[in-house]
Amino acid sequence: MVSRTEERRRFTAALLGPSAAPVPDDPSARVARGMLLDVSPHTLSVATAQGEERFVLARDTTCWRGRDVTSTELTPGHDVIIRRNPHSRTVAERVWSDLARVTGVITAYDGELLEVAPGHDRERVRLVIPYRASGRMRVRHHKLEPGYLFDAIGVWENGIVNALLPATSQPPYPAAEAPPPPPVRHRPARVSGMVSWYDPTHGRLPTTDAAATRAGAAYPALDRAGDCGTECDRVKSCVPLPQLSIGATFQLRNDCTGDTAAIPVVACGAAISHFCDRCVTCGFSERGRIAQLTLASYIALGGVPEAGCFNATMTVG
Amino acid sequence: MIEILREVQLPVISAALLLAALTKFADRSTQGQGPQAVLLPSWLHRPSALAIAATEAIAGVLLLLCFGALGDIVRAATVALFAVATAALIQTREHEPEKGCGCFGGLSTTPVGWRTISRAALFAVAAAVTVGVTPSGLGVLTQLTLPHLAVMLGEVALIAVLSPEFKELIQRLYYRDPCDIRDVPLNRSLARLYTSDAWREHVELLDSSEPVDVWRQKCLRFLRFRGTRAGRPADVIFAVPLSRRRSVVRSVVLDTTDSDQLV
Repeated sequence: MVSRTEERRRFTAALLGPSAAPVPDDPSARVARGMLLDVSPHTLSVATAQGEERFVLARDTTCWRGRDVTSTELTPGHDVIIRRNPHSRTVAERVWSDLARVTGVITAYDGELLEVAPGHDRERVRLVIPYRASGRMRVRHHKLEPGYLFDAIGVWENGIVNALLPATSQPPYPAAEAPPPPPVRHRPARVSGMVSWYDPTHGRLPTTDAAATRAGAAYPALDRAGDCGTECDRVKSCVPLPQLSIGATFQLRNDCTGDTAAIPVVACGAAISHFCDRCVTCGFSERGRIAQLTLASYIALGGVPEAGCFNATMTVG
Repeated sequence: MIEILREVQLPVISAALLLAALTKFADRSTQGQGPQAVLLPSWLHRPSALAIAATEAIAGVLLLLCFGALGDIVRAATVALFAVATAALIQTREHEPEKGCGCFGGLSTTPVGWRTISRAALFAVAAAVTVGVTPSGLGVLTQLTLPHLAVMLGEVALIAVLSPEFKELIQRLYYRDPCDIRDVPLNRSLARLYTSDAWREHVELLDSSEPVDVWRQKCLRFLRFRGTRAGRPADVIFAVPLSRRRSVVRSVVLDTTDSDQLV
């Protein structure tokens, strides 16, 4: 059965030509995800949506679980996502385990549990900030109060997110009081800004589900008349983003690595429309976030999840 | 000349207060700009903005109507109002340098700077010199002379220079976001579609005049309708331009089952 997004892409191409609706790139050539079955110092065995896959760990393969770890510190039964070596599908370049990220507006904090609203189309997430991470988290998030923005990377621990690394410098005012962006005088042919990531399983689907390696992006300038709907809580982004709908495809270039991919819009990125921050992973970036890639697309495009972002340039056909 | 300068302040301050009140009442945003956004909890931002607007409106009207001892009391109160505003703006600049002053509602989003503070101080001084002036603000307006007008224009120009809102207003009036960025209601796209040549050409194929799917790509809104052509189910898709320019509505008819283009 043809999905609605595929139909829209086909109809758009029929009217405007194939360049207006390029075929999305599949990240599975660069990324595998699933449940870790077995691990040794030199190999990993993973249950993925395609079945069991084995990976060779090279000497320069790095593993991450809240911090850099050795492969033997990874635990069977846990979620792992692997970036394949560009020259060999079966060699792991980098491995991440139990990755989690929470981006949105704080809705409650009782001193222990923090609750964050990640946008109108996703359920609220509850997380804890472990004592060992609280210092660096407080440096970048001064106010853990309802209404203020929050963005952090961490790991899943017993079904709850442990936030370990701050992924933004929180603005000093609540999200609702951010100054509106100025009017845009000229229509930009390309838009540059920061790209972040989210996990489309939201920690609820098994990582062997096909959704775990889904290609795409949550887009912060979704058309209100169509997909964003009446509950839409996105605001006008501080990047001059063209309005798109689910099913649209754009070209995205990772300005840090030069990698390029055709990325389909698969969800609303209302939460990131509030952020007007810069990415400092490489060079100078324009303010604001242009897309929230799925974890698989982000890693396939050369992103490092624990860094939180990369600078990118978007072109819409 | 000094007397003219003093008299002119009454209608100028009154107009500024009434304009400030009007823009605050009209501001529907949740920006919560201004000193109250720094000093008060967020649930009090809107009520406090409305209370300030009401105070400004009352002061503006009384400055126009009152004279004599009552007029002097109103003018002294206006001095106090602007003095408090000046102090609050200095505090805002110190503690929340990215906040706008909120003086003219949603127009005042530029961070508080020396111009905004100077303007509030200027109004405080202007209100102070009106204490003891014989006529009311309305009285000054009914007996305007050429020197009155010249002084008034000069002062308005000075206030415009001290007002970052002026640039914001010009931008809002003359620069609209390009069509691919701004929100466009679906009804407007439907209205444009229903009057297009493409619609008249294909309307007989359609099962319903309500689209089954709507999506957008930059300056185009796509509307998909179900239809029938040559006895076979078909999809009729229109691409409606969202720009104001007279671009043509494009259309295509596709076979629902095998996606071959029919026309």
